[in-house]
Amino acid sequence: MSAVNIRNVSKAFNEGKPNQVDALRDVNLEVQQGEFVSLIGPSGCGKSTLLRLIANLLEPSSGEVSVNGKSAVQARLDQDYGMAFQQAGLFDWRTVRKNIELPLELKGWEKPDRRARADEMLQLVQLPEFGDHYPWQLSGGMQQRIAIARALAAHPPLLLMDEPFGALDEMTREYMQGELLRICAATGTTVVFVTHSIPEAVYLSNRVVVMSPRPGRITKVVDVALGADRTEDTRNRTPFFEAITAVREGLRGMHAAHVGMGNDDR
Amino acid sequence: MNKFGGSLGTWLGKVLPAVVFGALFLGFWEWAVKFFELKPYFLTAPSAIWEQFVKNFPLIRGAATVSGTNALVGLVAGTVLGVAMSFVLSRFKFLNQIITPLAVALNAVPIFVLVAVLNNMYSITSEVPRRIMVALVVYFIVLVNVARGLTQVSSTHVELMRSYAASDVAILRKVRIPNAIPFLFVSLKIAAPAAVITAFVSEYFGGSQNGLGSRISSNIANSKNAAGWAYVLGACLLGLLFYSFSVVMEGLNRKGRAR
Ligand SMILES: Nc1ncnc2c1ncn2[C@@H]1O[C@H](COP(=O)(O)OP(=O)(O)O)[C@@H](O)[C@H]1O
Ligand SMILES: [Mg+2]
Repeated sequence: MSAVNIRNVSKAFNEGKPNQVDALRDVNLEVQQGEFVSLIGPSGCGKSTLLRLIANLLEPSSGEVSVNGKSAVQARLDQDYGMAFQQAGLFDWRTVRKNIELPLELKGWEKPDRRARADEMLQLVQLPEFGDHYPWQLSGGMQQRIAIARALAAHPPLLLMDEPFGALDEMTREYMQGELLRICAATGTTVVFVTHSIPEAVYLSNRVVVMSPRPGRITKVVDVALGADRTEDTRNRTPFFEAITAVREGLRGMHAAHVGMGNDDR
Repeated sequence: MNKFGGSLGTWLGKVLPAVVFGALFLGFWEWAVKFFELKPYFLTAPSAIWEQFVKNFPLIRGAATVSGTNALVGLVAGTVLGVAMSFVLSRFKFLNQIITPLAVALNAVPIFVLVAVLNNMYSITSEVPRRIMVALVVYFIVLVNVARGLTQVSSTHVELMRSYAASDVAILRKVRIPNAIPFLFVSLKIAAPAAVITAFVSEYFGGSQNGLGSRISSNIANSKNAAGWAYVLGACLLGLLFYSFSVVMEGLNRKGRAR
């Protein structure tokens, strides 16, 4: 059973109106359990739309989306996935611990259980002493770690992330990438990750899905041969650079085709 | 101890300039009245006003109680109704689209003149028209702000809640209401002074002559300028009382959010 299965999915906004946008056309993608897949492409190519279709925050215009062998709706109702966005989206009026407990509250968990799980998640993201702080007392990177802790609090098998590190500085970003890999290895979570940073996509992923706009579609899928154990040293290895080149060519080929410059290699 | 001394110091630092300025201003006023031999109907000396204030204190207090009660009753009623209506508005988008622009516009016009109409509907000695008027002014202020707080929630928060399969009621309780609380405090901060002003002004449109507003006009009309000014002083104090209420409200809001 695949973690995510997207079959012939198209999505148009404002369908049938003069301002119709074909955000996605004929997208097929299968993500295996435990896999880390990144979606990369220029702004407006439908990365966020695709992620929201998986999350059932949007309905496809045509085609089918299934998550963990269920319909996307059922998977959402069963809280089969956790989600994290570019804005950490923590609730200012709740303490860090209460933020992590929110999805559990909505699942109807008892207070002691929620608390125990929140503390476990705080350990996982290595911020155990910040449970009673308020979100605005934390740095951007720490807030994002809490957002990840919240997304994983109910131990969902799938994590959906939309440019979660997009607002962080480069140093924090690389640190967070390491943290995310460590957390996913510890929990065995499947991840679908949206980014527009090529090194980030390559460093994190088993596969990088390259997308192009107007209409949004998948143009290339790059397998990353870096194995499971990734360290800071991974960034200096040949397969890392090879994958980066492959992704860049995928993006560039589409750019050249788009502006009609043929094979111009600038 | 040290901390207390420090905060006392900064408190003094904030208050002292205002006190010094006030004292200088009153001193200059007193001096100008004496030096230019200004007639009392033109400008009354602070000392004369203070004399009248002390002499008429029980009357002023009585009038302040009447106006203050009107303002308070109207403030409470308007707030309750405004909050209730804001829930209805946030539930029905189309209503919100019709009523919110209207309410925003009404906040910008002096609707207290309506009290003249209301006065015709009740007996001449009734305080009800004035209270309704205050409630109406407060109602629109609270309505606009709280409805905004209930609807203008972060889209990330709403998407997160939907990803947790949260019901509309859960989104209301866990996102919209907490989001609207600071908006409620802001609206009270605006509404409290507006309530006192409306209570005063609505006394100029007839009804019994028992509040501060009507006493000011009747004293001035009878050339009892110093007494009129004494009632103005009473009005200032009542206004300050309501203003400090809103400052306390704001403080509570901050403390509630530990900011
Ligand atoms: N709610 C919406 N209504 C209309 N158009 C939308 C909406 N959401 C996204 N779009 C359009 O769909 C296209 C894909 O958007 P998006 O998925 O956000 O792209 P990306 O995340 O890759 O930058 C864009 O052209 C965008 O303007
Ligand atoms: Mg996006």
